[in-house]
Amino acid sequence: MLKRKITGLIFITTALVLFAGCRQKKKGEEAEPEVAFDKGAMLSNYADNLILPNFQSAKTAMDDFAASYTAFTQNKTVLNLLDLRSKFVLAYVKYQHISAFEFGPSESEIIRANFNTYPLDTTQLNANISSGTYDLAAANNIDAKGLPAADFLLFGYNTSDTAIVSRFANSANRVTYLSDCISDMQTKLNSVISTWNNSYKSTFVSSTGTSIGSSLGLLVNQLNFEIDLLKNGKIGIPLGKKSAGTQLPEKCEAYYKNTISVQLAKECLLNIEDIYLGRSVAGSDGSGLDDYLDALKAQHNSGTLNQAIKDQFATAKTKLALVNEPLSVSVMSDAATVDAAYIEIQKLLVLLKTDMSSAMSIVITYQDSDGD
Amino acid sequence: MAFGILMLASVSRFMANGWVYSLYVKPRFYFPFYGFEWVKPLGENGMYFLFVLMAVTALFIAMGFAYRISALLFFLAFTYVELIDKTNYLNHYYFISIAAFLLFLLPAHRYFSVDAFLFPRLRATHAPNYFLLVIKLQVFLVYFFAGLAKINSDWLLEAMPLRIWLPAHSEMFLIGPLLAQTWVAFAFSWFACAYDLLIPFFLFIPKYVKKAYFFVIVFHLATSLFFNIGMFPYIMIALTCIFFSEKFHLRVTWRISNFLQKLRFKTAGNPGRKIYSPAKPVLAFLVLIFCAHFTIQLFLPVRFLLYPGKLFWTEQGYRFSWRVMLMEKAGTAFFYVRDRKTGRETEISNCDYLTSTQEKMMATQPDMLIDYAHLLKSEYEKKGMKDPLIRVEAYVTLNGRPSRLMTDPAADLGKEEDGFMNKKWILPFTEEKK
Repeated sequence: MLKRKITGLIFITTALVLFAGCRQKKKGEEAEPEVAFDKGAMLSNYADNLILPNFQSAKTAMDDFAASYTAFTQNKTVLNLLDLRSKFVLAYVKYQHISAFEFGPSESEIIRANFNTYPLDTTQLNANISSGTYDLAAANNIDAKGLPAADFLLFGYNTSDTAIVSRFANSANRVTYLSDCISDMQTKLNSVISTWNNSYKSTFVSSTGTSIGSSLGLLVNQLNFEIDLLKNGKIGIPLGKKSAGTQLPEKCEAYYKNTISVQLAKECLLNIEDIYLGRSVAGSDGSGLDDYLDALKAQHNSGTLNQAIKDQFATAKTKLALVNEPLSVSVMSDAATVDAAYIEIQKLLVLLKTDMSSAMSIVITYQDSDGD
Repeated sequence: MAFGILMLASVSRFMANGWVYSLYVKPRFYFPFYGFEWVKPLGENGMYFLFVLMAVTALFIAMGFAYRISALLFFLAFTYVELIDKTNYLNHYYFISIAAFLLFLLPAHRYFSVDAFLFPRLRATHAPNYFLLVIKLQVFLVYFFAGLAKINSDWLLEAMPLRIWLPAHSEMFLIGPLLAQTWVAFAFSWFACAYDLLIPFFLFIPKYVKKAYFFVIVFHLATSLFFNIGMFPYIMIALTCIFFSEKFHLRVTWRISNFLQKLRFKTAGNPGRKIYSPAKPVLAFLVLIFCAHFTIQLFLPVRFLLYPGKLFWTEQGYRFSWRVMLMEKAGTAFFYVRDRKTGRETEISNCDYLTSTQEKMMATQPDMLIDYAHLLKSEYEKKGMKDPLIRVEAYVTLNGRPSRLMTDPAADLGKEEDGFMNKKWILPFTEEKK
């Protein structure tokens, strides 16, 4: 009796499932056989072709910057200053390509905050230089170091190149301070790279789940954090989005160099796109979030979610390309153009943070908790 | 007893995970339940005290020591904590509150317990059937309403949200590749629906209890494997034991008793048959409470019918209805504060006010959008802005549909009030043409 009932139950369930299956086929979906997506291969692509090469080139750029600085300190000329500045810009650009990987070793070294907390606290920085005693690891120095500090020391003070050179010539403390800032970044980069190579890479590649703390969870969460930084820190705040429409040009990234703020934003967006596509430093499109979304058959209106996101990347890049350097001037004189870019980046953010993360069933939070 | 042990484990796990701090000490702001705004966190020491109190009372419930007072204290402490912030609302926490409440009313300490050992006067071997029935009925309702809630087009015809959730585990050993198949999501959906609707009936028929219980174990272990749902599967597995016959329970207590004797503990000898029956007025009072309780239990899950619009979208009448694992819903909410005098607008960084979990939960739940808007309003009034206009653009995706605005982006949420009335500023849910 019971057996019969259970068999009956199973039979009914199976029949319903088959029915549902047929219904699906009729709708013309699921034509191709379904293959489980290889998340391990995707993670390997990220580690081998994006993350490690990007860290490596950030390191190379930082080492070149450091070498140029050594040359400058030995021979403080305007010519050497110009070389140093170009190396600085390159290091800042390369940094945009590692900023999004703030998990694992980068998270332990707190790369983002240590490298790029801006706007710079010039009072704190000047106090550090004049006293000559400071601890760069201290919390109150977080906005007096890193790339913004170099930006200020090499381009700030609103003065001539010769005056900047002589400031270095006249102050041993100043020379030491920038040197300390640079080696602080070098040490941290070296540590991140060696941990990735020694142990973290295998941890990263083998954690193929989607839960909180899984590699995919970390990657997507940081990707979303990065686009939030792009939207707010790089563009929204200078544009006055958080200050009732009053523009705050002094809050632009690389404010003292001044003419690379838009470029840095573009590099950041490009890196976000690289991560989305799984596109390597060399430019070849490997297994990435886009392929995973396609494998999950995520739809968006009449097309695929992947296509919608790709299109939005294109729109955001186009709008951002219309913004002129320096950003600190554009937010004042051409706010509408900056705002247009801001709006498109926000749309992209919603697609990545809400639609993509939901389709992948990735929780956007750093807090672990139960669901139901 | 099992309830006590599980609650001890549950409370300990909560503390070990550091959730007391991150959920009840760290946040600057809490989302209280409508009508329970007076429930506030008690500060760091206060909160830890509550959790220790829960752990101790849970242990006492398991031992059957000072049972009534322990059950009451556990119920009050647990419910208080849950009422602090609806961010942390989970159906199974609600279930624990109810179970603790019912256990407080039941004479579950009269046979095999420390109380009965210390106070032989309390001892009784038999209790009227209706006490058991109360718990059984509650479990029945949980399953049945969970099953009813699964009868919707997303669940049955689209296999949503399982179609999103299962492929996320495609890396699992052996079964991984299967999980990526659409038909598997359909099978799971239909099976879960049938299970929830049928299992409570089978559990009530003594002949089928064992087979049904086998399904209970399989089902809940499967859910705990695939989903991040904490202790809930184990609680259900344990509480469903109540459907077993008296013989089964006697055997278990006898084994534990033997074990204790081996450890040279003194246990009470087998008493004579004694039936526990409460005094008439007490009984009448209990019956009244149970009737009221179950009337509410029957009403809450169907109250959504009183609201227009799609339940999953508006979430009006969603909580306290045993709607479990039904939606993959995610959102991003951009809040703006506008100075009416100048017309200038500021975009809010939600992370300045909320924890990331709160932000995530808030973005998809209209009543929480209001609570947050009221917080922002008072914060900006403190800063000196007169009558600020608070508006939100909340982009929400539901069960794989493209994200879109959930609420009217022009509505001044600072002026809206939370409550049981229909929220008119929620934009209607329209199905896009495929």
